[in-house]
Amino acid sequence: METRDGEISLTLEIVNLVKSFPGFTFGPIDLKLQNNTIMVLIGPTGSGKSTLLNLIAGLTKPDKGSIYISGDDITNTPIESRRIGYSFQNPSLFPHLNVYENIVFGIRKSIRDNQRSQINRLVESFGVSNLLERDIHALSGGEMQKISLARMLVTKPKIMLMDEPLAHLDTKTRVQLRKDLRRILKEEEVLGIYVTHFEDDVYALADSVSVLEKGVIKKTDTLKTMLTFPNNPPMSTSSISEFFQRDHNYLEGCVTDSTNGITTFKVGEHEFEILGDYPIDSVVGVLIKPEDIILAVDYVSTSARNIIKTKVAAIYDSNIKTGILNIHLVIDDISLVSRITQESKDYLKIIEGEYVYAIFKATAPHIVREEKKRNKIS
Amino acid sequence: MNNTRFINFKLVICVLSIIALASIIYPLFSILIFVEPSILLESLTRPRVIDAFVLSIGTASVSTLLIALFGIPLAYCLSRYKFPGRSVAQIIIVIPLVLPPLASGALLLGVFNPQSFLDKLFPNVEFTQSIIGIIIAQTYVASPFMILASMAAFDSIDKSLENVARVLGKRNLEVFIRVSIPLAKKGILIGIVMTWIRAIGELGATLMLAYNPHTISIQIYEDNALGGLSQAIPGIILSILLSIVLVIVYSIIVKKSSGDTIKNNKIFSFGDP
Repeated sequence: METRDGEISLTLEIVNLVKSFPGFTFGPIDLKLQNNTIMVLIGPTGSGKSTLLNLIAGLTKPDKGSIYISGDDITNTPIESRRIGYSFQNPSLFPHLNVYENIVFGIRKSIRDNQRSQINRLVESFGVSNLLERDIHALSGGEMQKISLARMLVTKPKIMLMDEPLAHLDTKTRVQLRKDLRRILKEEEVLGIYVTHFEDDVYALADSVSVLEKGVIKKTDTLKTMLTFPNNPPMSTSSISEFFQRDHNYLEGCVTDSTNGITTFKVGEHEFEILGDYPIDSVVGVLIKPEDIILAVDYVSTSARNIIKTKVAAIYDSNIKTGILNIHLVIDDISLVSRITQESKDYLKIIEGEYVYAIFKATAPHIVREEKKRNKIS
Repeated sequence: MNNTRFINFKLVICVLSIIALASIIYPLFSILIFVEPSILLESLTRPRVIDAFVLSIGTASVSTLLIALFGIPLAYCLSRYKFPGRSVAQIIIVIPLVLPPLASGALLLGVFNPQSFLDKLFPNVEFTQSIIGIIIAQTYVASPFMILASMAAFDSIDKSLENVARVLGKRNLEVFIRVSIPLAKKGILIGIVMTWIRAIGELGATLMLAYNPHTISIQIYEDNALGGLSQAIPGIILSILLSIVLVIVYSIIVKKSSGDTIKNNKIFSFGDP
């Protein structure tokens, strides 16, 4: 399968997949992923997220349906022949082997020398080259998980399944490792499916997001679309926020300037400023709370660094508290929601179809994604 | 008041423990009463005692190998696969352990007697009153030790490690050899030592199936029957010395195993939900 040169596309297609358990039926599931996508799978406990991964990996046999990788039916292919990587919550390192032996476990001894550069590249990407001779009992949780992920990726899997591999790590390690993980998955051109309960994992890793509930996929879409507030009131939150019980505006763009601790990034034709230094041409994704966006009918001089003229697309109750409204604003491809009180709306005489200025400080956005620019941002 | 009760409890436990230990250790020392130091060395080198001792070690080793060859795969099968009759199979493997050894010998005699089907199938093989007979008896009686210890060892392995190996492209046989066996190694080694110890000490079934040539247990039994306890002393002393060595080996394996278990728990506990 040639994927690096882009001549043949890599696809994972799941068709009408069903698996019954006592008291629970998983499916039917239909899903299609292409090329270098990372899909993050979210859903409540018991919704079937791990079941889906087990079915794709071959650890569980489906009752019905088919799984195709680049058109080849692998539904009945043995686990060991599927070329699918699978990383669990538990790093599952082999306790009788040292770090290096764990990493090269999946590569036949006869071809290890030929794979040396691939092994070295991944070992360095994960920053574990100084650990190779160590006994695995001497590793920290984060190091174990890095070894576990490297062990899977050195075998050059077509698809990488990850079942909350970072769930038990401390916040600092998790933030760094998921950043590394996204970068490495993109570099290795592996199609990834990542299961998580953490909202930040979604923002940091996902190209697309699937919401699984009671064994069926409720919704699948790109991260941007999922995070864009709906155009159809009275739904007051985005699909992801509905799941996580929080809502945010999400903006993703390319850094054009970074001076004196202020970074400017561009979304379409519009520029925004955030705190921090990020490399020019890198891609950043930020979250902005609806409460942090204030509205003005006329242009005002203010200390806030971000002022954008937008059209009021809709006004609807926030469902948070009586008298609190969500003002849905759009301009070009940008969609934002500002949350204001009924009194403010009445005072400013905000009505649908009119233009208002959306204003927020450079300190308001919370950066959730930072990566090198790719040819195509999903 | 509570403190006094606790002290009394500890006292009772200590006394009972000392009695239990004494009941094991006292016979070992009491046997020395029957030993005449001047003739001990001479009696220890008596050819028939040495021959019986060597025969026991040899046959027990072969029996242990045979049990390992068939018993470890059986233990893996019972630990890993779900199939109709699995529970029955798990009961069957314990039968040689709960049957009186003489009854086991009688059962084996039914299978391998000179008029049996197997004897007719292999007319040139001496199943009774032969080394083969001894090996058959030892294998039958000692097999549960290996199978049960190995099964417990396979049960204790984190199954996700075997799944990871499969995902990494290893076929079932490779997973068995490169993951399951190394991870169950300690339990299997304990099973091997226990099986060997049981085979060395085997008497009842061997008595029925292959009284001759004499194993060390039969030699002790015969010496005691014909010449009293003093005549059986050389065989008993050799058995005790061998037992001490085996107990030391067993303790080392168990100790190492416990250390590894603590290490392994450290690895897996943090990742468990």
